[in-house]
Amino acid sequence: MTVALEVKNLSTQIRLSRSVVEAVGNVDFQIDAGETLGLVGESGSGKSMTGLSLLGLLPNGGHIIEGSIRIQGRELVGLSERELRATRGNEIAMIFQDSQSSLNPTMTIGEQVAEPVRVHREASKQEARDRALEVLELVGLPQPRERLGSYPHELSGGLRQRVMIAIALACEPKILIADEPTTALDVTIQAQILALLDDLEERLGMSTLLITHDMGVVAGRTDRINVMYAGRIVETAPTGRLFTAMRHPYTQALLGSIPGLEQDRSKALYTIPGLPPDLAPPPSGCRFAARCAYATEQCREEEPPLTGSDGHLFACWHPVDGPIERLPTIVPPEGATPPAVASANGGGHLLELKDLVREYPVTAGIILKRKVDSIKAVSGVTLHVDAGETLGLVGESGCGKTTLGKLIVGGEKADAGTVELEGKRIFELRGRTLRRARRDLQMMFQDPYASLDPRMRVHAILREPLEIQKIGSRAEQDEMIANVLREVGLPQNAVERYPHEFSGGQRQRIGLARTLMLDPKVIVADEPVSALDVSIRSQILNLMRRLQAERGTSSVVISHDLAVVKYLADRIGVMYLGKLVELGTGDDIYRRAAHPYTDALIKTIPVPDPAVKRADVAIRGELPSPRNPPSGCRFRTRCPRAQDLCAEQEPVLREFDPGHVAACHFPLQTPLAAADTPS
Amino acid sequence: MTGYIVRRCIAALIIAIGVTAVVYALLAFTGGSPAVAALGTHANRYTIAAWNKTHGYDRPLVVQIASYISNLVQFKFGYSYKQGQSVGALLNENAGRTAYLSGTALVLALLIAIPLGIAQAVKRNSPGDYIATTATFTLYSMPSFFLGLILIQIFALDLHVFPALVSDNVTTTWEAVTHPMQLTLPIVTLAGLTVAGFSRYMRSSALDVLAQDYIRLARAKGLAERFVLTRHLLRNACLPIITLVGLSIPGLLAGNIITEGLFNYPGLGLLFFDSLQNLDYPVLLAYTVIGGVLTVIGNLIADIAVTVADPRIRVG
Repeated sequence: MTVALEVKNLSTQIRLSRSVVEAVGNVDFQIDAGETLGLVGESGSGKSMTGLSLLGLLPNGGHIIEGSIRIQGRELVGLSERELRATRGNEIAMIFQDSQSSLNPTMTIGEQVAEPVRVHREASKQEARDRALEVLELVGLPQPRERLGSYPHELSGGLRQRVMIAIALACEPKILIADEPTTALDVTIQAQILALLDDLEERLGMSTLLITHDMGVVAGRTDRINVMYAGRIVETAPTGRLFTAMRHPYTQALLGSIPGLEQDRSKALYTIPGLPPDLAPPPSGCRFAARCAYATEQCREEEPPLTGSDGHLFACWHPVDGPIERLPTIVPPEGATPPAVASANGGGHLLELKDLVREYPVTAGIILKRKVDSIKAVSGVTLHVDAGETLGLVGESGCGKTTLGKLIVGGEKADAGTVELEGKRIFELRGRTLRRARRDLQMMFQDPYASLDPRMRVHAILREPLEIQKIGSRAEQDEMIANVLREVGLPQNAVERYPHEFSGGQRQRIGLARTLMLDPKVIVADEPVSALDVSIRSQILNLMRRLQAERGTSSVVISHDLAVVKYLADRIGVMYLGKLVELGTGDDIYRRAAHPYTDALIKTIPVPDPAVKRADVAIRGELPSPRNPPSGCRFRTRCPRAQDLCAEQEPVLREFDPGHVAACHFPLQTPLAAADTPS
Repeated sequence: MTGYIVRRCIAALIIAIGVTAVVYALLAFTGGSPAVAALGTHANRYTIAAWNKTHGYDRPLVVQIASYISNLVQFKFGYSYKQGQSVGALLNENAGRTAYLSGTALVLALLIAIPLGIAQAVKRNSPGDYIATTATFTLYSMPSFFLGLILIQIFALDLHVFPALVSDNVTTTWEAVTHPMQLTLPIVTLAGLTVAGFSRYMRSSALDVLAQDYIRLARAKGLAERFVLTRHLLRNACLPIITLVGLSIPGLLAGNIITEGLFNYPGLGLLFFDSLQNLDYPVLLAYTVIGGVLTVIGNLIADIAVTVADPRIRVG
């Protein structure tokens, strides 16, 4: 087999105003023709910088200090800018993560796809246009001829990603670098794009470098994986070997900290303590030593070389042997400390949502804004949460899960329906009683950077809720702050610092601490860990799990990540276009899904296990517009089981197991006959 | 799109009428009397009252405003008693020359500011960037008459390249166009002041665009840097400038007062300057109303231009 790309001893530095960051150090790898290589690592590991080095497109101050990059034997390092340009987009092309910002907003997609053809092929306008049409067809853009004149904002995220792939493929490159190509997409669209990439590689015989943080994405579709940590490749092995017989403790820990769908909820996740090192300058010795459970004096002093045999190399003095045995239970087993269910409202549910509807008006006109349409964000959702229970909400973006979260905490008012907390209707409360009720309903946000006021010290951030609610004296407040900090695992001196002095994971702890300050009855956590790196994510998940068990607080966890929801939640609700389509326990949802949407959603999750046979793309097409949801069952336009009835009649929730309901005319399971027409 | 423009034009018309009414009322409340201005300070009560009656100034303010606006719609701007001419004729005579001066200055300013801003952004924090920043800030903080005086001192008095004052022979717009030497210093003065603000905006806007992923993608396509800048950066970076240019149009008119006064160039600015000294109310009123209307029009043009230039702005 011929070698398509060969990288030897590549080192890249980025010069900042006061320091030099060694972003990539002594990286070696090669990709054979038609092969896919996965490059995996957390943010800051140098994986993207490696990709950009290959193209010679490093950010300002960045440059390759040594090494060699060869495409089919031709050396790229040291080429003039002009010669490099002739390679870029021609022999080696790149796909970026965010298709929204990666396409020029003021240029039609036809022009953007045609551009590399015009540059590299000296094609005429017409020829370039024809070629653009050809590649857009190749990447599966529906109605490519009509869309040549469209602008990027007129396409959905998934279609834009297809356009970006078309740009990369326009000149039939030998090597494709895909940098987090599906991270910004929903799982259903992610599955479509990954399948497309697989198919294209096969048909065009390209070699691909797939850069990602997601072990699930690389598991099924790479021949070999390089694991990067702090600018170095720490382990490289054929994909199967890496997952089953890894030797580097970092690889082991990384895989151990991902909650899988099979994850036992009573067990804590494996965590990697600490943070990745600062690379300006890099630490001496093994860069992982500070966070490694096996580190010795030798690790801190001497850097281990990348050695091994049979194409399985690792850089470690004390290699491990295969995956970790699961750690013992930290979380108390299920039901060990369920606080007595609140009987304040005579044995009713703690939180009850009834027929909630929220629609955002779409207006037209400049002076007299008139409502022309509405976006149906939440359309009649009925749910309840019991004391001490965690309810998970999953669904694609645009399904209304975040709006539902805002409605629960009273951050927004419903257009119809009620939210009752211990029998009190939240939307009817005013003034003081409303403020009192807010104590019991707190929200934890997704973005740990945007959700903390950068000009407030942690002490002020944590004291503010107490101040607003007029709880306690100064001294009592200080004591409460100290207790909560201890609970979330932050040092006491954190109070004097500002949010920017903390890492993402620590900030998320501050965010959690803020929600705990008022000792709420219900916490709504909207994507609590999706902005965090894998190794940090498991720390926060363990913390949330422990607090659930210790405090007995009810929570609603909203996430697009089904594994996260499965790990945290007792019951899970699946939403689609503003409707609750299925609700049940984790096992109901993952093992006995009745709704075809739930089933498809589970099948499309990339599983970090190469042995799992991937289902074909389970859901085709895109989410319909919430302005005009389909009649009858809203999922019918993408459903493989849809029939005429689905368009005519909206399915009601039917019971499949005790407490397990789904709304489908043609479910995958047999409903309990007795409960044919509930609600 | 057409519907949008029609609706915007109607809105602009309503605003322009409002502006006119407010300006008229303001001038009335300043306590000045057009009669005294016309008849001289020695006029007695009776002659003033008689004058007011013949010229309609004895009517209630609301009626005066309404009749002024209805005249305006027919392009009747009133009569300048000082100059013994209709205001319309005075404006008509001077507007062309001012439009030529301001227009050339604006185009010149954009031709300098857009490439300068982009160059500064591309070579940010280089010595060239610092020098350009210093120069634009100096220009920005300089009063216009001062810049004009410096230019006169250097290019007219010391080097004798350009005339210090615009020659009295330049009376028509056509003559202004055909005598570039005469107009160079006024145009440069006016452009110099505008360039400063524009280039600062352009620099920061270009910096924003340079940080965008689509610039990186354009480079990854193998595009030469010059095409990255002209095909991908230019249009996107100019979007915020369009609004700025629209808003600067009335400012140019104000800049004219001083520049035209300084160089003795017969335009609207000089007309206003003279009228101000003579308390020629009808002319002052007309000029202020024009300023207000230009602001509205400038905004309107900018908004329409932005919707044309930016496909993301949906017109509903």
